[in-house]
Amino acid sequence: MKIKVNKKKCSGCHLCEMVCSLSHIGAINIEKSAIRIRKDDLGTSLNTPTFCLQCKDMKCIEGEHVQEGLEKRKFFWDKERAERCPFDAVMVFDDQAYHCDLCGGNPQCTKVCTPKALRYNRRGAPGTSGAA
Amino acid sequence: MVLDRKIAFINLDDGAIEISPIDPTLRRKYLGGRGINMALLSKYYSSDLDPFSPRNPLIFGAGLLSGTLGFGSRVSITSKSPESGHLGDANMGGEFGAEMVKAGVSHLVITGKSPRPVFLFIKNGDIMIRDAQKLMGLDTIEVQKKIRADMEDDKVQIACIGQAGENLVRFSAIRSGLKSAAARTGMGAVMGSKNLKAVVVRGNMDIRVPDPEKYLRAYHRHLKKLMDTKWVHALGTNGTPLLFRPANTLGLLSVNNNQLTSLGEKSHLLEAEALDAFSTGMVSCFACPIHCRHRFSIKEGKYKGINGEGPEYASIGSLGAKLGNLDLESVLYLVDLCNRYGLDTISTGTYIAWVMELYQRGIIDREITKISLNWGDIGSIEELIHLIAQRKNFGDIIAEGAYAKDSLGKASHDYLLRIKNFPIEMTDERVIKSFALGMATSSRGACHMRSRPSLDVLGLPEDVLEKLYGGPVSNKYSSYRGKGRMVWWHERLNAVCDALGYCRFASVFSSPHALQYQQFSKLILLATGIHLTPKALRDTGERIYTLERMMLIKDGLSRKDDTLPARYFDEPVPEGPAQGEFISRDKFNEMLDEYYRLHGWDKNGVPTKRTLQRLDIEI
Repeated sequence: MKIKVNKKKCSGCHLCEMVCSLSHIGAINIEKSAIRIRKDDLGTSLNTPTFCLQCKDMKCIEGEHVQEGLEKRKFFWDKERAERCPFDAVMVFDDQAYHCDLCGGNPQCTKVCTPKALRYNRRGAPGTSGAA
Repeated sequence: MVLDRKIAFINLDDGAIEISPIDPTLRRKYLGGRGINMALLSKYYSSDLDPFSPRNPLIFGAGLLSGTLGFGSRVSITSKSPESGHLGDANMGGEFGAEMVKAGVSHLVITGKSPRPVFLFIKNGDIMIRDAQKLMGLDTIEVQKKIRADMEDDKVQIACIGQAGENLVRFSAIRSGLKSAAARTGMGAVMGSKNLKAVVVRGNMDIRVPDPEKYLRAYHRHLKKLMDTKWVHALGTNGTPLLFRPANTLGLLSVNNNQLTSLGEKSHLLEAEALDAFSTGMVSCFACPIHCRHRFSIKEGKYKGINGEGPEYASIGSLGAKLGNLDLESVLYLVDLCNRYGLDTISTGTYIAWVMELYQRGIIDREITKISLNWGDIGSIEELIHLIAQRKNFGDIIAEGAYAKDSLGKASHDYLLRIKNFPIEMTDERVIKSFALGMATSSRGACHMRSRPSLDVLGLPEDVLEKLYGGPVSNKYSSYRGKGRMVWWHERLNAVCDALGYCRFASVFSSPHALQYQQFSKLILLATGIHLTPKALRDTGERIYTLERMMLIKDGLSRKDDTLPARYFDEPVPEGPAQGEFISRDKFNEMLDEYYRLHGWDKNGVPTKRTLQRLDIEI
């Protein structure tokens, strides 16, 4: 499953980044999160949430002898994988890459996205529950 | 950890910088943001402190919970005001407050005057003073773009002044991003007087909390409580412009400098729905789930190519209805113009409205103004904004704010509607008595945001109001009963919001079901480890407000200054939905008595010794 994005709705509040880092590393640090809001805050004011697109053909691990399924479930990645990502969608901070592991199927970012820019609909499960 | 954030004392006379931890007692007593700012300012404040003196501190304070999973990440900017000559304090959202926190800084106390133009650069706890000669003369958008380009970093957050602040226009704002502004009380002019063009911050330090899982669970509960209110959804769809229609319906607007209080059927030209033609979505401040800011783009016509964020109801009122200007597209342009120059849109509108009425009445004429100043004349309004920001011709007089009355003759004085030498805003409070009292008692001069006691407008059952306020309050907005209690209650709550860095819209602003002390207490504990009960937080609000009051007392202000423009008492609203409404002096005084009693201040509005002792306020 993927998180669906409607970037026009993104308000740029950073709550998704904050809960991502908090739930994975136990600290709030928006640059240590797997999702990043790219902002044109002195121009159009448009915001673009960016994170791993969960590609079927994983260019990011090309040349590595690893199990795709296992790597997809990891949050910390080597930064070389971010460099191989054709969509520049894997975040790097201080030489550490942060990869969206979908929080094991329960993505925290979607739960705080009040403008509903991020949606995750597991079959048979409620969508953006809680606050949204 | 949140409590590891530092306070920096920066003296621009000699470039000395001292960085210290924050005393835990100060934190407990004043939290952060506006609270600690006031504790700091009070050490410098005196009646003879010239706001443009290097001794006057310019204080930046991030809220205690700014940068955390909260409900806004605001910053308060505090100083002695060159606009009013009394307490100065402004507050802005956006990203700047959060960036301070991420850089490990909670408060900045800037004194002195740099011999040359400079900006401050703060990065992860380090503070540097940099040359700003090349930035001088740039507007607030240009300067932010240039700094980011020079630093090759589009993530630095910048609080800056435009040409207005450089030129010491007394109602200059400090600006950040496209729209955020700490605009009230002339903090931008204080910054200009210090030769300080910008404060630039970049931070990416961890913010750690004691128990992340417990904290996240509590946050979700509070988020749900807030998002379950109708008010927040309305704000998230239309922003504050949604207030324009009810303000018109009630007769709460300032039209033509408060000669009228409603636009009647023409109101639709400036209402939220009219903004839909330009709006391209909603944006948020850092860590705010409400997303109440429009972003807009003008795609055709005279103002084609202008895009930005906003405007707020206050700016639409101030540069629209107040000036008899019903052209919303021009309001978007004029707000953008003020933002770029770094002018407070509210004060700018009020001073222009003042001179327009003087012009209407023949008290001033073209001999002094050099331009015609007819109501709704967009070209004149635009020209006057340019002249004010550049301090040219008649604009140089208006740039003095209320002090301009000394140049315009005695007959001009009464037409500048002001309280504590600070101009009233986009509204006329003759109809809503709680609002009127709140304007009169506001610690920064005429200001609806110090209290903003609007729940009686909703017509809620009186038992609901009594439960919330702890005493009887009429649910009729034109009634005086219990309104002293309302104002007192909201002043304390809003002071706590400002100390936490929270947005008022997340708290009891227009919904009794929104967040307040109980939720604040929980999130403070989980984010910082500080245990403060809801009652202790009420006392914190009282402490902050009373300390502010003590600075006004030092200036010689008292009951006689907690008043309203003569027009509110002496001229009933001539027509429209509020026709006949005025403020009764006797009943106003009764509200004041109740208000003082609840605050623990004496009949003259001076905090009693017992109150100061109870709140542990040292003067």
